[in-house]
Amino acid sequence: MEITCEVNGQPVTVEVEPHWLLADVLRNQLGLTGLHLGCEYGVCGACTVLMDGEPVRSCLSFASQVAGHQITTVEGLAVDGKLNRVQTAFINHHALQCGFCTPGFLVTGTYLLQQGKLLNREEIREALSGNLCRCTGYQQIVDAVEEAVNQQSANAVECE
Amino acid sequence: MAYIGQRMTRVEDERLVTGQGQYVSDITPSGTLHLAVVRSLHAHARITHLDLSSAQCLDGVIGVYGPDDVLPIMKPFPPGMVDARLQARMPTPLATGRVHYVGEPVAVVVALSRYIAEDAVRLVEVNYEPLPAVTDPVAGEYADPIHDGADSNLAAEIAYRVGAGADALKDADLVVQTSLRLGRVVGHPMEPRGIVAIYDSEQQNLSVYAGTQGVHGFRKSLADMLGLSESRIRVVAPDTGGGFGLKTRIYPEDVLAAYLAMRLNRPVKWQGDRYEEFISTNQERDQWHRAKIGVKRDGRIVAVVDEYYQDQGAYTPSGIIVADTTAVSIMGPYRVPNFEAVGKVVVTNKVPVGPYRGAGRPQGTFVMERLMDHAADALGMDRVQIRRINLLTPDQLPYQNGISSRGALMTLPYGEYQKTMEQVVDAIQYEQYRDTVRCEGDWRLGIGIANYLEMSGGVGFEGAKMRLLSDGRVQIATGASGQGQGHRTAIGQVAADRLGLPFEQIVVVEGDTAAIERGIGTFGSRTMIMAGNATTQAAKGFRQRLLAFAADLFEASPEDLMWQHGTISVSGVPARALSLAQIAEEALTRQQELEYEAYFDASGPAFGMGTHGVEVAVNTKTWEVKIRQYRICHDGGVIVNPLLVEGQTIGGTVQGLGTALFEALIIDPDSGQPQNASFLDYLLPGAGEMPDFMITEVEYPDPTNPEGFKGVAEGGVMPPMAAVCAAIEDALKEWHVRADVLPITPNDIFLQVTRGGAHETRSI
Repeated sequence: MEITCEVNGQPVTVEVEPHWLLADVLRNQLGLTGLHLGCEYGVCGACTVLMDGEPVRSCLSFASQVAGHQITTVEGLAVDGKLNRVQTAFINHHALQCGFCTPGFLVTGTYLLQQGKLLNREEIREALSGNLCRCTGYQQIVDAVEEAVNQQSANAVECE
Repeated sequence: MAYIGQRMTRVEDERLVTGQGQYVSDITPSGTLHLAVVRSLHAHARITHLDLSSAQCLDGVIGVYGPDDVLPIMKPFPPGMVDARLQARMPTPLATGRVHYVGEPVAVVVALSRYIAEDAVRLVEVNYEPLPAVTDPVAGEYADPIHDGADSNLAAEIAYRVGAGADALKDADLVVQTSLRLGRVVGHPMEPRGIVAIYDSEQQNLSVYAGTQGVHGFRKSLADMLGLSESRIRVVAPDTGGGFGLKTRIYPEDVLAAYLAMRLNRPVKWQGDRYEEFISTNQERDQWHRAKIGVKRDGRIVAVVDEYYQDQGAYTPSGIIVADTTAVSIMGPYRVPNFEAVGKVVVTNKVPVGPYRGAGRPQGTFVMERLMDHAADALGMDRVQIRRINLLTPDQLPYQNGISSRGALMTLPYGEYQKTMEQVVDAIQYEQYRDTVRCEGDWRLGIGIANYLEMSGGVGFEGAKMRLLSDGRVQIATGASGQGQGHRTAIGQVAADRLGLPFEQIVVVEGDTAAIERGIGTFGSRTMIMAGNATTQAAKGFRQRLLAFAADLFEASPEDLMWQHGTISVSGVPARALSLAQIAEEALTRQQELEYEAYFDASGPAFGMGTHGVEVAVNTKTWEVKIRQYRICHDGGVIVNPLLVEGQTIGGTVQGLGTALFEALIIDPDSGQPQNASFLDYLLPGAGEMPDFMITEVEYPDPTNPEGFKGVAEGGVMPPMAAVCAAIEDALKEWHVRADVLPITPNDIFLQVTRGGAHETRSI
């Protein structure tokens, strides 16, 4: 079957089998290998992408489900080559080591950023609890998301 | 210009945060075939029949291969880490006749896609005749041998004795004995293992991309198994999603994929999934200890004695490194005049044991720190006080503890261990709370302190090969490939300092056998010690090489030249100067390669002492354990990059907390079947359960290497188990809970409480 959707701001039409997973189609057919498969049953969160702005597990979604929807992957987070706040904060806080799980964290973090709410560390830890990381021990990830989200929120408050 | 010591962000990161990383699973050359593995469903069985025909008929299947179809590679793997004490048990790439653990490869399918390959796996028919599974190393020692041709299941016996050993216990005023158990931990790098093998039939060269911690060792093993010259194989470790020791050795799937890529003359890719990670990648910890400590009334240690079993699983892929390192790690930072350890390595019908972060260090630390706590309790002494009494003092250091390890007598260098411990004791307000019962609603609070001695590096060599690139940058290649440690940044910092160049002018290449001829790899917290010092050595020779070349150009003597900020000039004649880019240009015209290679040889391991302190809250209705505060003080030697060191320390500590509180692969004792082989049932620490860590560092330069570096990747994982267990016991004093079995779960605590706790003092 043929599906049409928007991926990282670009219209995409792709031929898929009904049982193909969104993660596989993004990686294999569209070459977007940023998202990773760490468990393939929705626990580790390394495959997280945004669908119409909401985080979803691309390993638990069929490609056919995204017809007509907007998908954002880690490759789509930087705009015009400029890293978004979460990406920048991840580098500054050493929030990644091997980097395999990082795309999922960045997508989740970007979702939190887009909510525009001030979050305390406990709330951030709770919000990140759907993503597993084996290298960092999470502290620097929480530092990074805290900085990115609260900086953004502070700016928003100033603008109001 | 000093880069060493700076909190520099990583040169690795921009690619990785934009999805541009290239991990093995991201690499799929055109025409790639996909391999999937038929794995044993039984822990122990004879294969009575293997029928590949249905699978072969599936559309899109290229081939299905049992042991008879891959005869050229059906030989045992060469033993990893040969040891005279060990009778190695090495697997063949596919099981022949008998399977020895759930997950052992039985056959493989190659197909046009992974979807088809997995479907075909289900169509392979294997008939098994189940045999009794050996699942307990203690009983298993005398059970029928699980390997054909073996006399027994005892693969090795390890024995160490210092002073009068166990005989010295008679001189003690009090002897305390305890049984300790560490669960079977699955290391779980977030990237499962995988390989892509590409054969060039014209040149007869094989290239593989593999997420391995040592490309040169991998190449050697692959060459042995394939019967191919090493010079025909290139191994590249691209971005690698965590290793933690599990990716140090070659595995059956690697050889099968490479062999079939050559045979089919098509790229072959195997990408393991998480379930395969649970049932085919080396596992660790999994020990049973019966340990004794003899002390004087004043708290001084007379002797420590430990008998233990390593549940080795079915094979010995990395020899006895885990069990051996356990024994040599027990004495830790303490003065132990008499010591004896006897360890038995017993093969069982489980996934093989191989190094996972710490590789025995955490086990040894757990034994010693638990003994200290129990001895203090039995003496009626404070648990920190007994440590104060027995920690080595600065005037006793350097200290030889009587153990020979890694080819050298263990020599603990100078440090101020008491000061390190007191930093943590103060920070966590231990003295203030130690005699009080603290409650918050249904929660009871408790504090635990544990010390450790981190042994790092110390074996073999590692190299650094410097080369001037055409644009004047200096490339440094090393065999120590990374899996997230930030080598390119840290080695770059060392090189920039030692060459006197801007950091931006350095480019580090790792994980490619084509970039440097020899190498060992990344494990045992060795890279900064080994590759870091090799870089320093190479910098010296590289400068001389460039100065000699420039001297020819200037028709001057090398002694009359100056090297400053990447420019070589004639002393006193500033106009006569060439930048490294200009020198590179000159070298190009003269067809000269400006390069220099140096190898650093270890003279023995580095040692750093540290302390962890934890405050837990335990819910007295649900027995849930929460971590409220966590303090760390550790000795990093000369620290190259504090940002990266903190990352290693916290990351290691969280893995230790996983071992303490959550992680154990539960194996059914009768069938040998894993009961929780999924992330839904096997709990890894998550962001929500983990605390913020407060870390302080002390820096005692290590005397075994010119730069004074120490490894820092395994200190974090060593003491959390003992510290958490101590804190839980402290919180639950009223119930006499004893936390000697890992992981310590709410269920275990509940059962102990309902049974009235552990009242016996166990002193003899």
